[in-house]
Amino acid sequence: MWNELLYAFEAVATLPNFLAMFAGIWAGVIIGAIPGMTGTMAVTLALPFTFYLSPVTSILLLVALYKGSTYGGSISAILIKTPGTASAACTVLDGYPLARAGKGGKALNMALISSCIGDFISNISLFFLAIPLATFALRVGPPEFFMLMAFSLTIVASISGRSLVLGIISACLGLLLATVGEDIYGSYRFALSEDMKSGLGMVPVLIGLFALPELIKMVVFRPEDNADAMKLGDNRLTLSEFRGSIKSIFRGSLIGVILGAIPGIGPSTAAFFSYSEARRTSKNGDKFGEGEIEGIAASESANNGACGATMIPLLALGVPGDVITGVMLGAFMIHGLTPGPLLFQNNLGDVYALFIGILFSSVFLFIAGKATAGAFTKISRIPQTLLLPCILILCVYGIYSIGASPFDVTVLLVMGVVGFVMMLLNIPAAPFLIAFILGPMFEDNMRRSLAISRGDLGVFFQSWISWGFFALTILFVTLTIRREWKKWRSNRNADTASAS
Amino acid sequence: MNQNRDFYAGLVATVFFAVILFVLIPIYVKVPSFIPGFAPPPDMWPRVVAIVGLVMGILALVLAYPKMREASRNQVEGLGNRILGNKTHLMRFGAVLILFAAFVYGMPLIGFVPATVLLLGVLFIMTGNFERKFWMIGLSIIFPVLLYLLFTKVTHTPFPEGKLLSFSLSDLVTL
Repeated sequence: MWNELLYAFEAVATLPNFLAMFAGIWAGVIIGAIPGMTGTMAVTLALPFTFYLSPVTSILLLVALYKGSTYGGSISAILIKTPGTASAACTVLDGYPLARAGKGGKALNMALISSCIGDFISNISLFFLAIPLATFALRVGPPEFFMLMAFSLTIVASISGRSLVLGIISACLGLLLATVGEDIYGSYRFALSEDMKSGLGMVPVLIGLFALPELIKMVVFRPEDNADAMKLGDNRLTLSEFRGSIKSIFRGSLIGVILGAIPGIGPSTAAFFSYSEARRTSKNGDKFGEGEIEGIAASESANNGACGATMIPLLALGVPGDVITGVMLGAFMIHGLTPGPLLFQNNLGDVYALFIGILFSSVFLFIAGKATAGAFTKISRIPQTLLLPCILILCVYGIYSIGASPFDVTVLLVMGVVGFVMMLLNIPAAPFLIAFILGPMFEDNMRRSLAISRGDLGVFFQSWISWGFFALTILFVTLTIRREWKKWRSNRNADTASAS
Repeated sequence: MNQNRDFYAGLVATVFFAVILFVLIPIYVKVPSFIPGFAPPPDMWPRVVAIVGLVMGILALVLAYPKMREASRNQVEGLGNRILGNKTHLMRFGAVLILFAAFVYGMPLIGFVPATVLLLGVLFIMTGNFERKFWMIGLSIIFPVLLYLLFTKVTHTPFPEGKLLSFSLSDLVTL
């Protein structure tokens, strides 16, 4: 084994590999930061270039692009309230309020550090836990998925802000919009036009909901400070802030690793799950959503933690968990390598080389992230009256480029108006976001489970994983009802006291 | 003071989910004659969500009603009155809707780049701040063109060139 490791180290430590990783991370960060351009797009665009590279260099380039784009999404999420990628949507909730308060640099630093730690832990787990995690992932079927999604949706209660009822309304709206289009059995739902048959794209909906209401608000209300740039205050991350977030970073990284290893889940769900757990357990939980730096740490460590872990089912079982690892599977095949158990027998040297290279990529991510974040922070100095209209145009181009579809642009603009009306009515946007992302997975797995069991509800309680998530769901629902009841009673008592 | 904002949120939600449940689902969610296995029909989930949304909308109305009555007793100006009272805001919001609609319907006619140039220019005007006129004029032309070049060169996105204009930006770029 040590000989193979030594050989692998020698194979990785070459200039082409380092250049590929560095270029991949750098390009990934920039692509991720542009709204509408996703990691999938970056990896797919780079695939033809890998034909001319060695197998290890090719995969390292693709992995670097994936990691870079996942981190890059947080830059636009923090600075311009526009999640560059869906996995950065959660980062908007605390990142943008921090940027508005003149702490954009601090938020970016936290996003970078937690991303790098999450990434590193993910890489280590890839090295040591690929086989056991892949075996665990295989035991997660539709019923377990359904229970996991049900538990994840309980986060709605904690991100609803001052009114749980309005939070649930917002979540219902998200769940409903997620049903538009073709379902898993080929039936069309709410297909009011031909374009709607393929459903509403996740990126236009999310970007429209978060980025555009700010612009519409500025145009409609013209606040006095709209000509000012965001303040550039204290940008350094202090040791106490880092210490305060360390638990959330490690927990987020582990959540990312476990959920990333399960095919089909991906970094977005991991980020929400981690954010929800951080909010539930943090002593600053009440401040989440208003610019709490721990919220950024939780979501960013989880989404980057999931990146390396998505390689686990691919390498250990030959099962691509999402579109990006699907493209990577293609890259492996092009170079004559077949991912799966046989890869570890026939090409162990290449596998170790890949593992070591991926470990190095965390360092590159830090360097590229640090350099790029510094440049991107300058965006904060642009006055809002110039910045917000330009963001809309950037979003319009980015969204159109995803599928060359004018319908996506229409969805973007309509969601901007919907988001503005929600803002006026004090309906929180965060529950909509999580419901829109998790809703389809929740419904598909419920319907698949019932189809498998021929309608028997017992399918949801056949494994300890399902039972575990069911117990947690019941626990959090009970706690939420208790908390709301107490809040309602104390409000009523206060009203009675003030009336008398 | 916006004590009745929850009331309006509840009202909007109730109407919206009622329309979904009683109008849109029966018309736009088709249940196939054959469903494989024992899978629930396609309208099951939207119905469940719409019912929950409707119940929550009514609950929001019920919970906000006492506060709203108190607000009217104390002569607190409601959200509806505030919006309708300030017609300028309403007109600006209407202008945003018209601008977005004009962009969506006009873009296939005049082309993507001219449409985005116009959209950006009008948005700059609508912000009501004219301190940086040269930046506004420059950006509204240069920024969309730069983005066009970026996306056509990097991702090879075919942007609509417009039915009304005989030349396209790509022709100018290749010249």
